[in-house]
Amino acid sequence: MSGGATQMPGEPLLDVSGLNVFLGRGASEVQVISDLSFAIWPGETVGMVGESGCGKTVTGLSLVALLPADASRITGRISLEGKDLTRLSRREMQRIRGRRIAMIFQEPMSALDPVFTIGRQITETIQAHFPVGAREARERAIEALAAVGIPLPARRYDEYPHQLSGGMRQRAMIAIALSCEPRLLIADEPTTALDVTVQSQIIDLLLEMTRRSGTALLFITHDLGVVAETCSRVLTIYAGELIEDAGIDDLLARPLHPYTSGLLRSIPRLSAPKSLLPSIPGRVPSLLNRPSGCRFAGRCAHAAPECAAPQVLQDEAGRRVRCCRHGELRLPGAVA
Amino acid sequence: MSDAPARDAPLIAVEDLRVYFPSGNKRETVKAVDGVSFTVAAGETFGVIGESGSGKSTLGRALVGLVRPTGGRVLHDGEDPFALGARDFARHRRDFLIVFQDPSAALDPRMTIGHSIREPLDVADETPRSERDARVLHLLDRVGLDAEFARRYPHELSGGQKQRVNIARALALDPRLIVCDEIVAALDVSIQADLLNLLAELQRELGLTYVVITHDLGVVAHIADRIAVMYLGKLVELGPASRLMEAPLHPYTRALLSSEPVPLPSVLRTGTKIVLQGEIPSPIDPPSGCRFRTRCWLAAGRCAEVEPEWRELEPNRFVACHFAKAAEDPESAR
Repeated sequence: MSGGATQMPGEPLLDVSGLNVFLGRGASEVQVISDLSFAIWPGETVGMVGESGCGKTVTGLSLVALLPADASRITGRISLEGKDLTRLSRREMQRIRGRRIAMIFQEPMSALDPVFTIGRQITETIQAHFPVGAREARERAIEALAAVGIPLPARRYDEYPHQLSGGMRQRAMIAIALSCEPRLLIADEPTTALDVTVQSQIIDLLLEMTRRSGTALLFITHDLGVVAETCSRVLTIYAGELIEDAGIDDLLARPLHPYTSGLLRSIPRLSAPKSLLPSIPGRVPSLLNRPSGCRFAGRCAHAAPECAAPQVLQDEAGRRVRCCRHGELRLPGAVA
Repeated sequence: MSDAPARDAPLIAVEDLRVYFPSGNKRETVKAVDGVSFTVAAGETFGVIGESGSGKSTLGRALVGLVRPTGGRVLHDGEDPFALGARDFARHRRDFLIVFQDPSAALDPRMTIGHSIREPLDVADETPRSERDARVLHLLDRVGLDAEFARRYPHELSGGQKQRVNIARALALDPRLIVCDEIVAALDVSIQADLLNLLAELQRELGLTYVVITHDLGVVAHIADRIAVMYLGKLVELGPASRLMEAPLHPYTRALLSSEPVPLPSVLRTGTKIVLQGEIPSPIDPPSGCRFRTRCWLAAGRCAEVEPEWRELEPNRFVACHFAKAAEDPESAR
């Protein structure tokens, strides 16, 4: 088991260990994810944060085997309920995707098929995994639409995605994703395109629906506020590496990695006076030009000679951190 | 109406502004902005918050003369730009500019960055070429980009860098007002922080006036002196940023503030969330009376019949709600 320092009773639902993801072909192949290891326990809600280009979405896609087969390569283990997903055939994976593990995306309009009705897209999922007839599939689909708070579900069943608002489309996506009660739902920025009042509705809905079915949630987002309100544990990803794994309250109070601290401090606050916002200088290093030592060192105010060496993920009092200086630094968190 | 009586003549005065668009089948009308009044003082940062469909972007375009008002008017320094002749209008609008959310859309992919920044100077055609090139380098420096960026193309730049170029381009003709329409929305938080710091620095040095349009409460709270809250084509609340954030008067403002996710440990999070039901109604057929009533937990019979008056409840604090006092009382806020 690779879950590291985080101790939970029983076996993990998802156990990712030594995951490397490469994109591209032949000479143009680049490594996007390096040696990623983490675990998620049944029913747990885990956040994954980091800036654009750090590999969050690629991680999500690799878990559900939705990366293009001819232009990606994966090594390591992705174990779901004890079964290594990286060793499954396309066919075997199709039986698991949607049924045991599902994923929803930021832009529901591009994930929904515009030429099929909402109802058809749910019954398709249900009938792919359960031996039910058309009538029962339809009943289940309408129930699923009602459960996600879509008004007049029987009418919406026959409507097309473009007839729904952004918030309603995301509800429909959730209905499809949860129609077969998967054990793990990966939600990739599901509320980023939504207004803040609709965002609260969708977050409440996601939490309630996953709690009801005991589904674990991996919530991928760039918004630490959203994570604080939804997740019990957070994985911070930087330049393709896991750099911190901690309980949410511990992380907010005392981040151990300078990058996590920088992220927390650069968020403008409702109550903040008009002052300079602490920002993180520079940018995420490009895929082709990742430093051999600490990948964050070039942007880090605490970089020291020892940071030129490759950094290992260390266990620290129930958390994990990839920074050789974490013991000597006292970094500010969300509460100054 | 003036909401900043202590100040001199405002740089921008918006008087009962209305902007209507014909809808798809031409028989219906979208009332994107429907009777909005406020003023912006020189040197001020004026924030406008609202959800998609509130009309805030249309308001931003109307402020700089990109759309003609259907009713009411926008005065720039006391002058109505639409009353000017074509030549005066072209000259005039250089002082009142807008920068948009998508940093790529505003830059021509085939033009170097230097050329893009120089373009407004070329159009103005008032200075010799050598002076314009020197000005481009000065502007790049001003927004924190190296001189070598002048030779690059947009695709070689990150989103944050492109947005800096757009700001440099806006600064080229020494504007007085810049409307920032969601200019940090597409950026990561650390890049966003850099850009907000840059805006503040430019304002200090150049005495710029900003209207910042955003859906992000943290951004507007951080940068604005005063904040206007917009809902379905109308302002529902306007006041000094700190007061509005501490003690919002309108139930919609309360709901917005309460639904903003805050990165605080559970023990430090206060209060129960107000989760609004439903979504913003269609601006083609807005609800009668108070437009927010269909999602408001305080709504009563009167709200459907009588449109709440825009009134100054406290000095410099305006609100349009029959129950604005009640909403301030924590007991009644659920």
